[in-house]
Amino acid sequence: MSANDSPLWEFVNISKAYPGVLANDKVCIKLMPGSIHGLLGENGCGKSTMIKTLSGVQQPDSGQILHKGKEVRIADPDDARRRGVATVFQEFSIVPTLSVGENIFLGNMPRNRLGLIDWKTVNDASARVLKKLDIELSPETITGSLSVGEQQLVEIAKAVAMDAEMVILDEPTAALGEHEIEQLHVLLRKMRAQGTSILYVSHRLDEVERIVDEVTILRSGKVVRESGETEINVSEIVAAMVGEDVSEHYPKENNSVDDVVFECQNLRTRFGVNGASFDLRKGEVLGLGGVLGSGRTEIAHAIFGVDKLTDGALLLNGKKIEIKNEMQAINAGFALVPENRKYDGLFFNFRASGNITAAALPRIARRGFLDLAAEAKGTERLMNELEISPQAEKKTVNFLSGGNQQKVVIARWLFSEANILIFDEPTQGIDIGAKIAVYKLMNALTRAGKSIILISSDHDELLAMSDRIAVVQHGHINRVVGAGELSHDDLVRASSYGDAGDARPAAAAARIQTNSNESLAAEAIQ
Amino acid sequence: MRRVFDSQLIGPFAAMLIVALIVALTTDRFLDPGNLSNLSLQVSIVALIAIGSSIVIFAAGIDLSAGSMVALLTMIFAQMLKFAGIPIFVALPAILLVGALLGFGLGIITAYGRIPSFITTLAALIAFRGLALTFNNGSPIFSLDPALETVFYGRLFGLPLPFFYLVFFYAMAAIVMNFSKLGREIYAVGGNPAAAVLTGINVKKVQAITFAIAGFMTAVGAILMSARLNSGSPNYGQTLELQAIAAAVVGGASLAGGRGNVLATLMGAMTIVIVQNGLNLNAAPSSVQNVVLGLIILLAVGIDMWRAEISRFLSRLRGGATKSAR
Ligand SMILES: Nc1ncnc2c1ncn2[C@@H]1O[C@H](COP(=O)(O)OP(=O)(O)OP(=O)(O)O)[C@@H](O)[C@H]1O
Ligand SMILES: [Mg+2]
Repeated sequence: MSANDSPLWEFVNISKAYPGVLANDKVCIKLMPGSIHGLLGENGCGKSTMIKTLSGVQQPDSGQILHKGKEVRIADPDDARRRGVATVFQEFSIVPTLSVGENIFLGNMPRNRLGLIDWKTVNDASARVLKKLDIELSPETITGSLSVGEQQLVEIAKAVAMDAEMVILDEPTAALGEHEIEQLHVLLRKMRAQGTSILYVSHRLDEVERIVDEVTILRSGKVVRESGETEINVSEIVAAMVGEDVSEHYPKENNSVDDVVFECQNLRTRFGVNGASFDLRKGEVLGLGGVLGSGRTEIAHAIFGVDKLTDGALLLNGKKIEIKNEMQAINAGFALVPENRKYDGLFFNFRASGNITAAALPRIARRGFLDLAAEAKGTERLMNELEISPQAEKKTVNFLSGGNQQKVVIARWLFSEANILIFDEPTQGIDIGAKIAVYKLMNALTRAGKSIILISSDHDELLAMSDRIAVVQHGHINRVVGAGELSHDDLVRASSYGDAGDARPAAAAARIQTNSNESLAAEAIQ
Repeated sequence: MRRVFDSQLIGPFAAMLIVALIVALTTDRFLDPGNLSNLSLQVSIVALIAIGSSIVIFAAGIDLSAGSMVALLTMIFAQMLKFAGIPIFVALPAILLVGALLGFGLGIITAYGRIPSFITTLAALIAFRGLALTFNNGSPIFSLDPALETVFYGRLFGLPLPFFYLVFFYAMAAIVMNFSKLGREIYAVGGNPAAAVLTGINVKKVQAITFAIAGFMTAVGAILMSARLNSGSPNYGQTLELQAIAAAVVGGASLAGGRGNVLATLMGAMTIVIVQNGLNLNAAPSSVQNVVLGLIILLAVGIDMWRAEISRFLSRLRGGATKSAR
């Protein structure tokens, strides 16, 4: 595959420490032209740290960086760009108030002879890039009005538009559906054929297996498996990442019994739910399958009182209930683990305990005052049960790995003793070990007679962990089938992309992200 | 999870001590008992108002209305005492109620009207002073009630009364912010409003309540202002809102919300007042005082923003020192 045998970029013994952690410990890596290089490892093993070094965001403490065999210093991100490195960072770097086209050319705006921005080129060139990625977006759309997945696509388009020699993608697929991932793969293969070197990070190992040519695996900042050693297969990768053999990726227990505990009848909202009906059994995991923008999150929002119902009914244990807001949903025993734990889930100013008790403050309050001893005890019990890092109670949760953060969000709903839990993309961006922990947690919950509604864009996960699957299209449930009767391909076909655009714009517009806290709150409460 | 005396207090406390030390070195009159007692009187008004400003900031809002509200409330108070013949024991709680209600109104407009608090309270900053001018043809009202002066100048166990107000209100605020459900909800709303909504916290109500608290504390400040000068005036309280916000910021509160300790605000207020006092004692003109206040705010926020760089710099200094020692 590779045109020649000398690496485009090479790291030699690069180390980088943050206060308290050695995030990269003498890392060596060779990035070849015309090759897709997977960079894998558990949360917090130092992948993003490496990428930040190669993108000029930070300087290494020691070691050398070689560009085409010559030692270089990458002074800053602009320097990296000039040397042909384009990066899609794990954290979003798009500007929500700018248009898609402006974001794609941000910092790199084409100008006309008068030195003014050449809007025609901006829009034409963006349209071309978007077309390459098969993204149906107008360059003039305001980026903030797009869904998380679409914003991610814009990020990718931005890197592609630079025509760089070296393209780095740090978890580009976390928020994407199967269709978008496939589209991205097609493009990456094209770029590889043209000699581009690609560094690729993802926690979705099935996808990694399909696309990468070689892998480097990190554990606690050290390289534990170098490129080109053996065949790339998922179980070997996992063994190297975790440091032990993991026999079962999807430890599914069947705890579903026949009693229906909850029923949705013909739900409708103004945000893309169009007559959704299904029932949920005791101890069941009901998967919602569908493409990005099919209205799965919106169905969750309709149940949880985030979006007002314009029609339809909710039946809890056969009795009709009214849920007008999130508080009523929580009191009725519902829980929502939101799609994006960073934006909607975590309080980064709190330690684990503050996060865990947030949804059940009345339970630890007597006459308006908190019983801090009860809080500490409850938190400690859950942290032990879920094997959350003890660090979580020593510092605020922004210092935790993604997996630990997700467990904290889930623990919140165990503390609130919810009976019906909606998990919206619960394993997004967390490593395989943490994923398995979440699956085991789902088993424990269903074993205790609780029911789960699972939304996941990872079809393997959805098929493996659900008892039944409801296929969602345009905010409507097409059919509900046993997970065993459905294959991966069936699911793709059943929720086929078609013109799923109908449901999307309204849904996306309802979730405009702004930087202002106040309008965020206002937006979310509507 | 949140301890009342946590590490957030160390920085502001150290800053206050350092400033006090510097002032004490430049003038021997600083440690004079008379001056110290004067200092506690001076700090009381801004420090009490800063309780409210901080709580609003913890919930990711901002209150610019305090100074003008003080002017308005002193005028209403003066009107009640001097012209309406309302007895002082009725007028006092009435003013507290009016302050809380005005604040609550601003909170409702902000939270339910979805107008950023910067705008609502900026509008109030302008409008309240205008309203203050509608009383008594815009002239100050003097000599309200001889009993009023004891509210400010009275003493108990040899200590000035405002000292006890400070202790009382800061103790209350610390208890509410650290041990009550409301306090926790305020930090949650400030930390991540979207997450707060999804955990069933009534974000709008909590926001409105923080402004009601701010209004109440502003009323406490206004009463002390009236008592101190035994008068009401539409000119009182200019830039008081900025000093109160500065106290919170010097105390380490994050303007993005969610982080801060109300007791640190007290340290912040004292730091500012000690600096002003030091400049006074050294006969610096008031123009200089404002410049210095501006610099303090910049420095306080700067230290917070550059924390990582500073610790890296310090560790490099230390690393360099050990290397050269070898
Ligand atoms: N700015 C920072 N300050 C302090 N510590 C940091 C900082 N950034 C990262 N770390 C720590 O460095 C380690 C490596 O982090 P890094 O972000 O590189 O992990 P990662 O492999 O990208 O993980 P993930 O899969 O969750 O994205 C972690 O322990 C992390 O907590
Ligand atoms: Mg990362």
